[in-house]
Amino acid sequence: MLKKEVLPRYMYFGKLKLEDNVFEECLMVYFKAPFSYTGEDIVEFQVHGGVLLAQKVLEKCIEVGARMAEPGEFSKRAFLNGKITLDKAEAIVGEINAEAEAELRSSLQVTNGTLAAKILEEQDLLKTLLAEIEVGMDYPEETEELKLKLDISKRLEEIRDSNKKIIDQSKSAAYLRNGINVALVGKTNVGKSSIMNALLGENRAIVTDIKGTTRDSIKESFMFEGIKINLIDTAGIRQTEDVVENFGIEKSKETLNQADLILFVIDGSEKLSEEDEQIKKLVKGKNCLTIINKSDKKRVVKKQENELEISALFETNIDDLKHRILRSVLNEEIDLNGLVLTNQRQVEILKTAQEILENILSTKDASLDVLSMLIKKLWMTFGKITGNTENEDIIDLIFSKFCLGK
Amino acid sequence: MNKIEEFDSIVVGAGHAGCEAGLALARTGNKTLLLTISLDAIAFLACNPSIGGTAKGQLVSEVDALGGEMGINADKTAIQIRMLNRGKGPAVQSLRMQADKNAYHIEMKKTLEKEKSLFVRQGEAISIEIDGDKKIVTTKLGLKYSAKSVVFATGVYLKSETIVGKCREKTGPNGFKNSSLLSDSLKKLGITLFRFKTGTPVRLHARGVDFSKMEIQPGDEEKYSFSYITEKYPENKAVCYLTYTTPKTHEIIRENLDKAPAISGEIKGVGPRYCPSIETKIVRFADKERHQLFLEPEALDTQELYLQGFSTSMPADIQLEMTRSVVGLENAEIMRDAYAIEYDCIDSTQLKPTLELKTIPGLFFAGQINGTSGYEEAAAQGIVAGINASLFNRGKDQIVLKRSDAYIGVLIDDIVTKGTNEPYRMMTSRAEYRLLLRQDNADMRLTEIGRKVGLVSEERYQKYLKKKELITQIEKELSQKVKVDEKLRKLCKENEENVPKESAKLCDLMKRNNIDIFKISKTYNLFRECQKDILEVVNTKIKYEGYLKQQQEDVEKMLANEKLKIPEDFDYKTQKGLRAEAVEKLDKIRPLNIGQASRISGVSPADISVLSVLIKKR
Repeated sequence: MLKKEVLPRYMYFGKLKLEDNVFEECLMVYFKAPFSYTGEDIVEFQVHGGVLLAQKVLEKCIEVGARMAEPGEFSKRAFLNGKITLDKAEAIVGEINAEAEAELRSSLQVTNGTLAAKILEEQDLLKTLLAEIEVGMDYPEETEELKLKLDISKRLEEIRDSNKKIIDQSKSAAYLRNGINVALVGKTNVGKSSIMNALLGENRAIVTDIKGTTRDSIKESFMFEGIKINLIDTAGIRQTEDVVENFGIEKSKETLNQADLILFVIDGSEKLSEEDEQIKKLVKGKNCLTIINKSDKKRVVKKQENELEISALFETNIDDLKHRILRSVLNEEIDLNGLVLTNQRQVEILKTAQEILENILSTKDASLDVLSMLIKKLWMTFGKITGNTENEDIIDLIFSKFCLGK
Repeated sequence: MNKIEEFDSIVVGAGHAGCEAGLALARTGNKTLLLTISLDAIAFLACNPSIGGTAKGQLVSEVDALGGEMGINADKTAIQIRMLNRGKGPAVQSLRMQADKNAYHIEMKKTLEKEKSLFVRQGEAISIEIDGDKKIVTTKLGLKYSAKSVVFATGVYLKSETIVGKCREKTGPNGFKNSSLLSDSLKKLGITLFRFKTGTPVRLHARGVDFSKMEIQPGDEEKYSFSYITEKYPENKAVCYLTYTTPKTHEIIRENLDKAPAISGEIKGVGPRYCPSIETKIVRFADKERHQLFLEPEALDTQELYLQGFSTSMPADIQLEMTRSVVGLENAEIMRDAYAIEYDCIDSTQLKPTLELKTIPGLFFAGQINGTSGYEEAAAQGIVAGINASLFNRGKDQIVLKRSDAYIGVLIDDIVTKGTNEPYRMMTSRAEYRLLLRQDNADMRLTEIGRKVGLVSEERYQKYLKKKELITQIEKELSQKVKVDEKLRKLCKENEENVPKESAKLCDLMKRNNIDIFKISKTYNLFRECQKDILEVVNTKIKYEGYLKQQQEDVEKMLANEKLKIPEDFDYKTQKGLRAEAVEKLDKIRPLNIGQASRISGVSPADISVLSVLIKKR
């Protein structure tokens, strides 16, 4: 990610490339070993407040090869490298235990939910597959007549598909945790503030200072069906010569880029202006819902793609709007009641599993011993979420499923 | 008082574990007493007349590489040879030999008798006493022997009882005398005992068998041997037969379940799941219409046949009825009855990974007394116990084979770390690094270790060095590039592979699915003088390179934890931060290092993190 050589213990200001065309401003400090908390080389990032941004930076780091720390790992490393004195050892032990417990609690949460049931189910499918492969290898004579139909690829493909669904669902779970970011955009006087007020209504959440978003926007949140929806009003987007205002525009564009959904507000009683057309171009290709405001007046504007008529003034169709917001972001198929939170570590594990799956599926003509090795790796990977990694389980299954022995 | 005869070591029991332990001790210069209840029970194949099989074949090759005897003895006495799992990948290929049961015993006895420091003696050990550094073993006839170290390899003889229907007898396998007093002496030393159970099927006279109704199972045409020092490959001299139970068999068994000790609760010992009696199979897998049975010859100069898959403890008359309901056995004639056998064994978690008792230095345990089953598992432990007793006598560091070194390492680590609540059988699925632990590279993995402890003879070592050199040479030749010429085009076309665009390394060509070392050797006229099994080794090494590397990386990760030693006197009970369950388990197993600790069931990754901090703190 870094192009220039960095000096230790200097703070650098820069932009972190999260995706193509998506940058996040951040501060970075490099601590050179042994002058760091753990005594190893460490790089610290300081990003704008808010869980979502930190999460995104974290995801980016993992994407380029980092991994999540284990419970208490930083302190443990610090201790093992002699950076923390002996009398702190017990405190560290406590920390490891506390974090492990917290993790356990969060994984317990998972095991109660449908998502967990699904992961367990997948792991069980793998276990069965493994037992069937293994039994043939450990008992070739007894299993000759069984003629096991292994269908390895077919079974793995099924697991891959359902795993993919879980990963997608986990993204939705992130919305549950961090809320959905909805950006309102439209020319001045089109009624954005009235729409905001109508949406916020009595469910208005505590007004938060906007963290990590443009200072020229207003961000307020409300709860709907248990999900936090963050409304971000963008500054007017208009090409201008004014440098200061231009900076505001840049910010607004960034807000649009980071939003999960854009509400593009137009006045239904007027023809589209040049400004409207400009904004329309700007939001093209993004997840966008066009709001035809002022439905109390005679409609002049033509039918728009993915539109919804409302009247902010008379509060008509506001509930519809709320539903549309939710459905535009969350996958329709997701049963919100059954959806379960997973932490970032668990999502990463699933992604690793997905890579192994793709690897196995692209491996042609591998012998059974190799396939079994790869499938076992996959099974162990799932085990990092479910906690079931005892090899003995496979052996137990072999004996309970098959009749063997002299 | 009796005169006490002095030895360096005493081995109690001359089964498959005892023979290896005795030989390992004697061959490394220890004056060794090998005590056995009966000289006629030396290396006795009490159950299957066969050596090897899946995972067990690997064990035999490993015992051989360390300088043991089982592989050589099997090669000498084999009457049918088969390589199992061909076509399922090199990791799980295992050799299995039908051995001549009589010859196996006689040949091993001859080998023992030839060893100049080994004293084979018939006698029943009844007690063990510790007198300072000396261990004193007393026999039933009152003879006393002392030694610096003792290896217990008593098999299934401790307080054993055989069961056939209602008939319970205090006897060892096959009517041999049992050992009725030694368990109590072990208990007095504070050793915890378990009670396990196993069984064996009927033996039939060949004249009552209609072989025409059965499927013949010949040996392989290809030549194989267990030992890499065997010069002359064993020949196939006999065949096995495959047959099946019938609905009538199942009916007879169901009708007589009340008479089956294994079902009625008469037998209390824990039996192995992988070796269930036929009545257990029929109860547990009720929907299975028939069960597969094999007829195996017991020896060349006998008509006796072993009926594999038909182990039972039903009353003798019902055994006959059951047997005669099997396809082709309508006129069967039983020569020996099937029986179940119960015996005392020790809780194996009381041992270190060296097989030495944690509480008393110099006492070693090997074989079925540790709760394992199988001749090969026994021999594997026997050789390790023998080597370590020998190192103990000399005051040297004992060896521990790692899970990444050998199946033997997996076996011992499992039983001392996790323990076992049923007779433990080796399976390839227990070995997480099995791509590395192949039968074909056992010598490459272990000969150096065997050499270091003084068990690998000069002859064996030279042979190993030569093979190693040859492998390097072949690999070097395979790294040469070949031009895209008519030869190469032909090779690729014949095997439906794309012709490379430019010159390619032979070893890279070999990685293609349809090309192997034999096709290369034919095309380029290479390695014509070379033995097939050596080419096979190189073939596997190259074709599986990527996967082997993956496993090697996993091994490195594991070894990092294995290197973090836990002090022997580490006091878990006074440590803060470890969970109570973890303290209890860790204190009981007393792992040598963090790696072993992490494999104890009930110890969590967080416990391991805490433990590594606590150890550093010391």
